Amino acid sequence: MASIELKNVSYIYGENTPFEKKALDNINVRFESGRISGLIGHTGSGKSTLVQLLNGLLKPCSGSILIDGRDIWEFPKKIRDIRFRVGLVFQYPEYQLFEESVYKDIAFGPVNMGLDKDEIDRRVRDAIVFCGLSDDLLKKSPFELSGGQKRRVAIAGIIAMEPEVLILDEPAAGLDPMGREEILGGVWSYQRRNNSTVILVSHSMEDMARYSDNIVVMSDSRIYMTGACSEIFKHADKLVSVGLDVPQITRLIHILIKRGIDIRDDIFTIEAAKDEIMKLIRQKQKGGFPEC
Amino acid sequence: MAFIKMENVSFSYDNDTLHDIPVIKNINLEIEKGSFVAILGHNGSGKSTLAKLLNFILTPNSGKIYINGRDITSPDITENDVFEIRRDIGMVFQNPDNQLVATIIEEDIAFGPENMGVESSEIRRRVDDALAVVGMSKYARHSPHQLSGGQKQRIAIAGIIAMLPECIIFDESTSMLDPSGRHEVMNTIEMLNRERNITVLHITHIMNEAVRADRVIVINDGEIFLDGTPSEVFSNVAELQSVGLDVPQVTELMFEISKDGIDVPINILDEKSCADILEKLLR
Repeated sequence: MASIELKNVSYIYGENTPFEKKALDNINVRFESGRISGLIGHTGSGKSTLVQLLNGLLKPCSGSILIDGRDIWEFPKKIRDIRFRVGLVFQYPEYQLFEESVYKDIAFGPVNMGLDKDEIDRRVRDAIVFCGLSDDLLKKSPFELSGGQKRRVAIAGIIAMEPEVLILDEPAAGLDPMGREEILGGVWSYQRRNNSTVILVSHSMEDMARYSDNIVVMSDSRIYMTGACSEIFKHADKLVSVGLDVPQITRLIHILIKRGIDIRDDIFTIEAAKDEIMKLIRQKQKGGFPEC
Repeated sequence: MAFIKMENVSFSYDNDTLHDIPVIKNINLEIEKGSFVAILGHNGSGKSTLAKLLNFILTPNSGKIYINGRDITSPDITENDVFEIRRDIGMVFQNPDNQLVATIIEEDIAFGPENMGVESSEIRRRVDDALAVVGMSKYARHSPHQLSGGQKQRIAIAGIIAMLPECIIFDESTSMLDPSGRHEVMNTIEMLNRERNITVLHITHIMNEAVRADRVIVINDGEIFLDGTPSEVFSNVAELQSVGLDVPQVTELMFEISKDGIDVPINILDEKSCADILEKLLR
């Protein structure tokens, strides 16, 4: 599976006009293959511009975008092929459903790729697994489904193109906790099954901590930090200073450390916190010294 | 006297068909003036329908709704009464980009009072006051598209404030914002409630926001499922999870630890009090 990389990329909206605005300033970042990378940053930090550059919806003003080392703009007339290789799911993708049946809507991408009928059918049936929907729903109108189901059908439409890189912009926005879990858990299992490269944009630090392997932090049109979740969430103060946050559980651990409790500083999920705390409690109950 | 009172209120969108599914089922509810109430519930539970019933966007199929003691479900309610209800109960919605109508911020805030026929010197006063309340005075002559999401939501709130409401309903008004935008809006909401005594109904999926209210009401399948202070409601961890909701992370941690036989209270909502308990256990 593919890695995708930006090299010295800058992007300016309305260049050479009075409304000129620099959205990306000399970005260098690599999204590793076979990982879920979280992309976080305050509103207006440049996240959306960055993801639109990754599948060629925007063309960089300078610098280059490389998939497995090859410039996506090497043959500008073939940029459409890049959009099949890099699937982009926008915010509220359920507004983009339009076909008369779930089947046709999911098949829209594969049909446009010029695949044969059997291949299209296989892809639709594979993609529907992601939705957690049964086969008999395929004949239904997408507009008869619930909000969470519609969103999963819309994402399945991108997955059916079997992109090497899948980018999702706030896929869980506006959903309740269970809906979030269904969508993000679905993306997680899809990624683990196919070992694909996934980029997840979100404002929820809790979701990021749970579902991503690496995190890229943007601020003011630049890359501010990159690293594994455990690295990034150690820097609570830095994240807050750029309008972001850490999960509540991480704030708790930081308070305990400040009060002199000897506890690991790389905890950012409830499960990890529970394991660590129970371990410490048991050690204390035994009255013994920490095991070596 | 309660500011809002609902008596046996039921509502369904499709009133005439055989497949009529009630969205609100026989709800009885009283909300005191000046309170800060968080409303939780999974998607489709009826939260937003409830909000729309309160400011007359929808009317119930049966039951009575009283605002400030006035029966808004009475058949002789006039168009003028409806205007008054909507002035008294303002709404702020989810998407900051869908709520601003003018190209200059101060004109946007003036839109409400202008439509109410307020005199121009009074409009000027209200606009300046509303901008000051949300901390956006220096942006009066800016254009909304230059603002961040949190700033846009504060302008939407200022537009409501300028109509001098008694109550504001926030329908997932923070869900599209980044963490700092959420803080800005939550601080503004809290300040309006504490300092201006505005009754607040805050519909949200973010449990850490609900914790800041005086009272939490959980709606499930059109009925009131839980109702109480945040610490009362959130100690029902298993019940909340069973209806597709969550609790704050520290509450869940306490719940998980207690399941393993450690004696800790579950009604913990913030990281400081959680740290106090863990410190005692671990020191």
